[in-house]
Amino acid sequence: MHERLSFYIKRDSLIHRLNPLTKLVLVFAFIGIAFTFPWYWIGLFLFVFVLIPLAFIAKVSREYFFTATRLILPAAGFLFLMQALFQPIGEEIIFQFYFLDATRESLAFAFTIAARIIVMISAFTMLLLTTHPSELMSDLTRRGLPGQFAYVIISTLQILPQMQAKAQTIIAAQRSRGLDTESTFLKRAGSVLPLVGPLVFGSLVEVEERAIAIEARGFTSKKEKTSLHEVPDTVTDKTLRWILIILIILSILLNLWLS
Amino acid sequence: MKIEIKDLHFTYPTGLEALQGISLTINSGEQVAIVGQNGAGKTTLVRHFNGLLKPTSGSVMIGDWDTAKYSVAKLASRVGYVFQNPDEQLFSRDVLTEVEFGPKNLGYSKEKIDELVKQALAWTELTDKTETNPYDLSPTWRKMVALASIIAMDTPIVIFDEPTTGQDFANVSRIAHVIAELKKQGKTVITITHDIDFCAENFERVIALSNGKILLDGKAREVLGQEEILAQTYVDPPQLTRLGKLLNLKETVINQEEFLNVIARNVG
Repeated sequence: MHERLSFYIKRDSLIHRLNPLTKLVLVFAFIGIAFTFPWYWIGLFLFVFVLIPLAFIAKVSREYFFTATRLILPAAGFLFLMQALFQPIGEEIIFQFYFLDATRESLAFAFTIAARIIVMISAFTMLLLTTHPSELMSDLTRRGLPGQFAYVIISTLQILPQMQAKAQTIIAAQRSRGLDTESTFLKRAGSVLPLVGPLVFGSLVEVEERAIAIEARGFTSKKEKTSLHEVPDTVTDKTLRWILIILIILSILLNLWLS
Repeated sequence: MKIEIKDLHFTYPTGLEALQGISLTINSGEQVAIVGQNGAGKTTLVRHFNGLLKPTSGSVMIGDWDTAKYSVAKLASRVGYVFQNPDEQLFSRDVLTEVEFGPKNLGYSKEKIDELVKQALAWTELTDKTETNPYDLSPTWRKMVALASIIAMDTPIVIFDEPTTGQDFANVSRIAHVIAELKKQGKTVITITHDIDFCAENFERVIALSNGKILLDGKAREVLGQEEILAQTYVDPPQLTRLGKLLNLKETVINQEEFLNVIARNVG
């Protein structure tokens, strides 16, 4: 039985080989450009001409489109509707439904916001798909991110799949004792305690054991720590990061200059 | 109650083909141990007996019931399954309620439940601990509570998933005692184990699995003597069997009693 502990898809691609920090900077570059460029088509442009090709280069196009259709597009669509109908700006009414109305301006605004959200979530999805969380965290802690912070992120990413696996086993164990989890609602409501009890107890015990385990390895020690796992950081990475940072600064300057 | 498995195949959603054509009959009242390396398919196989997993192809019959057509809750009246980790099933405030939970689910009468619970607690030596919260007991005793809670269900077939892992000698003896009592009542006992000495001392029939197929199946002595074939699934014969081989004993011995008998005969 194999559980997935994160979004990470293990493949070999140009993007997978990049240093995690470079990818993180890339994500912020996407967000920076999408949110500061004043042209409303910038989000869509980034999505179609940069993010989609990037998904193919990273060899995660199938997984990316899966996430996009299930999560990103519905969320952006919802946001678009809300903004288009409730944004009280503009004069020229294009569409009206009782008290709801969409104007040219509110539509344009909603389109920009939705496209920005698509770019932001897509960029993060791409980072998560191509970067193992522990690699990202060990690279960031090596650069000075506090260990506690990394621990919170990593354990949050891992706790859900772990609890899910545990819940599955508990359900199997109680069904084996004749607990009816499949029939009427009333019967199922009665079967909550035998399932939740072991799950909560077990998780508490696990948290304690985990705390002891990491403390046994000197988690709170103030000494500088070495890492078994070396994350490569090449000249290409460094150059790329500088280019991206300059891009972010330029986009901010451009935004200031235009407004 | 007879278990009949015909050409059972099972593939996990991940694409892993865990069982690759298993055919097997276990008669009423047999004591069977299943051995084999990690990932050989032991747990996957026994989870088919109580319907937790349904065959991808082939069939599993428990008596006259095809497991594909019955729910787990229903099959629980015929097959009891003790999970490896007791913490995954204990939830009650005290041992008594915990042990009563299974038989109550099966809808037995009050008198029958009382009698079954009393017997299960006596076999597992928990009679003086009925008021204790299971979480106040040591892990070894929690294991006994899990055992009692399944035995009290009075199913004709009982499955143990690695009952002796992490248990001290006293508890292993208790588990052996429970198995002997179940045998006396004519129940079928199926045990997954890595403890090969435990297997040699308590089971008549041994099935060795390897990569989702049956490698060996037969009387304990016949199976446990096949050192070369067992090595394929990383199982060592019992210590006394190996000692017997080194002493060039003509017969294969698997437990202390047999070993002493053969030695006595040779000396005498």
